[in-house]
Amino acid sequence: MAQQPLPTSAQPTDIYGGDEVSALVLDPGYCNTRAGYAGEDVPKSILPSFYGHITSDPPRDLFGDECIIPRGDFEVRNYMNKDSVVEDWDVAAKLWEFMLVKRLQPERQTHPSKNGLNDDIKEQDGEGDVAMEEVEGLEKPLEEFPLLMSEAPWNSPKAREKAIELSMESWGTPAFWLSRTPVLASFAAGKATALVIDVGGANTSVTAIHDGMVLKRSIQRSPAGGLWLSSQIRKMWETSEPKVDLVPTFMVENKTPVDALAPPQARLREFPYKIHDSFRAFEEERVLTEFKESVVEVWRGPGRYGAAGNEEYIKSQPGRVFEMPDGYNQMWREQRFKVAEGMWDENAGYPLPEEERLTKAQTIPELIRSALNSVDVDLRGTLLGNVVVTGSTSLINGFNDRLNNELTAMYPGLKIKIHAAGLSSERRFGAWIGGSILASLGTFHQMWISKKEYEENGAGIVEKRCK
Amino acid sequence: MTSSDVRDVLNLPDGAAAGPRPSKKQKVAAPRPNLKGLAREVHNLGGDNPIAIVPEVTQFKKRRFVSRKPAAHWELRAFRNSGRKDGSLLLKHWRRADDGKQRQAGEGNATGSKDEEEEIEDSLYAKYNVQVSVPQYSDDQYRQVLENPDWTKEETDYLMELVRDYDIRWPLIWDRYEWSPPATNGEADADGDERKAIVPATRSRSMEDLKARYYEVASRMMAVQKPVQYMTQPEFALHELMAHFNPQQEKLRKEFALNSLSRTREEAREEESLLLEIKRILARSDRFNEERRELYNRLDYPHAEQDIATFKSSAGLQTLLQNLMTADKSKKRKSIMGGEAPTPSGQPTPQQAAPENGRRDSAAASTGTRESNAPTAASTSNKKAQQQHHHQQQQQQQQQQHQAQQQQQAQQAQPQERKKLTEQEELIYGVTHHDRLGSGPTFRTEKINKLFSHKSNQQQLRITNTLNELDVPAKLAMPTAATTAAFEQLLAAVNSLLDARKVNDKIDAEIRLELAKKAELEKALGQQEADKSEDADGDAKDETAAADEASKDNGQDDGAEAQPGDGEKEEEGEKATPSDEATAKPSVEEPEDKNQNTDTNADKDKEKDGQPESGVTTRKRSASVLSSVSDKSTKKQKK
Repeated sequence: MAQQPLPTSAQPTDIYGGDEVSALVLDPGYCNTRAGYAGEDVPKSILPSFYGHITSDPPRDLFGDECIIPRGDFEVRNYMNKDSVVEDWDVAAKLWEFMLVKRLQPERQTHPSKNGLNDDIKEQDGEGDVAMEEVEGLEKPLEEFPLLMSEAPWNSPKAREKAIELSMESWGTPAFWLSRTPVLASFAAGKATALVIDVGGANTSVTAIHDGMVLKRSIQRSPAGGLWLSSQIRKMWETSEPKVDLVPTFMVENKTPVDALAPPQARLREFPYKIHDSFRAFEEERVLTEFKESVVEVWRGPGRYGAAGNEEYIKSQPGRVFEMPDGYNQMWREQRFKVAEGMWDENAGYPLPEEERLTKAQTIPELIRSALNSVDVDLRGTLLGNVVVTGSTSLINGFNDRLNNELTAMYPGLKIKIHAAGLSSERRFGAWIGGSILASLGTFHQMWISKKEYEENGAGIVEKRCK
Repeated sequence: MTSSDVRDVLNLPDGAAAGPRPSKKQKVAAPRPNLKGLAREVHNLGGDNPIAIVPEVTQFKKRRFVSRKPAAHWELRAFRNSGRKDGSLLLKHWRRADDGKQRQAGEGNATGSKDEEEEIEDSLYAKYNVQVSVPQYSDDQYRQVLENPDWTKEETDYLMELVRDYDIRWPLIWDRYEWSPPATNGEADADGDERKAIVPATRSRSMEDLKARYYEVASRMMAVQKPVQYMTQPEFALHELMAHFNPQQEKLRKEFALNSLSRTREEAREEESLLLEIKRILARSDRFNEERRELYNRLDYPHAEQDIATFKSSAGLQTLLQNLMTADKSKKRKSIMGGEAPTPSGQPTPQQAAPENGRRDSAAASTGTRESNAPTAASTSNKKAQQQHHHQQQQQQQQQQHQAQQQQQAQQAQPQERKKLTEQEELIYGVTHHDRLGSGPTFRTEKINKLFSHKSNQQQLRITNTLNELDVPAKLAMPTAATTAAFEQLLAAVNSLLDARKVNDKIDAEIRLELAKKAELEKALGQQEADKSEDADGDAKDETAAADEASKDNGQDDGAEAQPGDGEKEEEGEKATPSDEATAKPSVEEPEDKNQNTDTNADKDKEKDGQPESGVTTRKRSASVLSSVSDKSTKKQKK
């Protein structure tokens, strides 16, 4: 997973040796929750953190992408809030259990003595209590699997304690560990000391990692992530001439091709029930994601997008065509650069309502600057030589080039090296992969918080150990 | 049927003019790919060029040879990690079943009833759980040695705990350092916030403060546990390092680092170019020195030490040529090693480099001034572009310089491979340079003994006497190079002194003899000219007596010196130099006599100069001794 493996001559034989203990790794985020076995290079199970909730009686929750379809009395919710911190613990527990147990493990056979088929009617009365105890013991679904969870670096102590409680009490894991996402992302890049720039769905964070630990003072975050970019794109569509309507794919029954900029000719689907706004927003987000993936680009430099001559230059370059689900299509030229420019320059981009607007301190260069300013001087050079870029939104074209330009402009005298995984899966699941590496290391066995330690010290141990 | 047959049938010319048969035979003899399922005739149609048909392989890949052994058995085996604190955590990993079984069986035989618990293996990785050792102290020890007005014990404890938790990783310790002093009034209660009347303001401590405190504690506790004088070398070094930690200096260093971080691109570039400049200047001065040395070496032409008579015949010339050839050869080899000799390829480089350098310098200087001018002017876009242009130029120049330098370095690297000792180092290691060395090793004492042994017994006796007078032992206690050299000089001086005395004695005796003869002659000649001659004689006598007295006055201080002063009058030109040295040396050895000596030396110099023109007669000589003025004038004339 590390891009550049150690040279064979320097590779220590056993200190980095793996020793699998069939640990599970769980990495919840605002957009997706990832789970899988430690030692693998991609999470086995990736579910949206959005879940379906049926409001009609009896209310129930539906997990998984395939369940989020148009239906009545149905809304889409998210168990995380926009800070990437768990908000609804009940649903979180259910969703995680669904992933870790249902998705990752085969259905268990009920023990022959418990499945009722071999019950001897005579013995049933006498030994009933014993049988019940054993059943209790078996109910814990993860008794054989140590669990490693990730968390945002700004996670609250209460949430951390809640996580270990959940893991130990209701799943019965023999060992548990809680690690911060930037640390894991830097491990995935094969670095113990790094400046991690995580451009995710809901947040962008810049964190300095020293020797496998987060430097708390350096943690910087801003909402300049995927959601913010979506709002920029929406604004762009609203203000463009002609105005672009965002009709999500599920609404379109059929369409006929039209010329560029011509009004769409599509028949929309009619539903006999009311489609909830949250579901529509979720589906719109899919279209926006596609647009981000195929059209949006970051102005690579030199200079900023707003610098004299740059915009004229871009206008002369070929643009990219995007066809909306309803058939409307348009060539996007300078606009596709402008939407992403707000991440770098608070004055560029499309004007947003006050509460969504980024301040200067929330742009990515400023985040990096303030993160570096809050660590020791001696570390800054090393950190800039080990910049790790992770998170799905960093996959936007030109992101790394721009980042490199900004950094060299900010610190001209220093050597800057950006490490960004080339595989998109490694960029998307950076933290999970780091967790997978960490949990399968032989030297990590001494770190786990064991069940016994939890029982002796209570949930507070997570604060003491997972520093 | 071969291709030639086909050609024959079709009336085609048969390829090349060469005879077909024998060549064909040869071709056929060469191994051909034997394609199965293809008739030989068809195959031969291709002639010399084999038919490009890839045979189709209908077979599958050969089956892998499978070992008959049953599949290896793996089992999920529990293990513990002794590096953990609790030790109760049992994790499971997959291991080959057989090797474990064997071991278990062996153990089972040895000790029949072994507890299930003990058979659980320990993790291989337990050894990597290492802890740092952080100084421990008791309350008493704290009071005795660790008191610091700036730190409370609680805070020190907190610091030590953090240091232990974060394994002395200072950036982390500083990052997580959040010391909140406990309330000073009343006990801390969960709900009793009101009772904490005074809560001291938290102070933010810099990393240097934390380090200083920790090193202070650590070094003092080290000294408490083991007094400084009993420490081993590394322990002591560590102690010294920690005891002399200077937070102020660290702070300054960090400030400096901060400044260098925040410099602009132009500043960085300027610094870089300045560094380059310095490097170039140094390199140039090195080369200049080298050239100068080479020049000096050339000016230092070889002296003819031997008689050239042997080379006057043609045979002699032949041998001379031979000698020169061999010498040249050996020199060449040396020159390859030393690299100083002008080789045809090496010669032009400095000359080439010099003008290049000059050009570059001037260019750099000009751009430098332009650059310094540019920012002062208003920064119009036009100017900007110009500046950019300059930058590019500069970059190019820098690159060129870089390349040129690298080339030069590569060229210089060859000769500089052998390390050159500085003068000081040469002195320390006793390295000396000789034009030629005698065969075999010699001892310095031997060399000194040689000086003795060449003399007659009487002479030796005299030398030892003189040395005794000077309080110098005849055998050197410590014959280092410097002392032997000095001793040699001393001996040479003594020798020349003795020689001078001998001559002096001889001449004195002659004078006496002559005087006696003269007296007799005078008697014989009669009394008629007595008046005149007696006057002159009396003068001469007086003068010699006076000279003797003067030199004897000086000689009382230094007996050895008196002699040459006396005898010098009659010495020949050759001997003048050694005697001069002889007098000079003692004067160096005993500086307190210097003032007096210089007077006499001056006298002697005059005498020496006067010598060649003076005749055999004593009269004239004695006159020259007195009339120093006239002597000086003659000296000038000579010059």
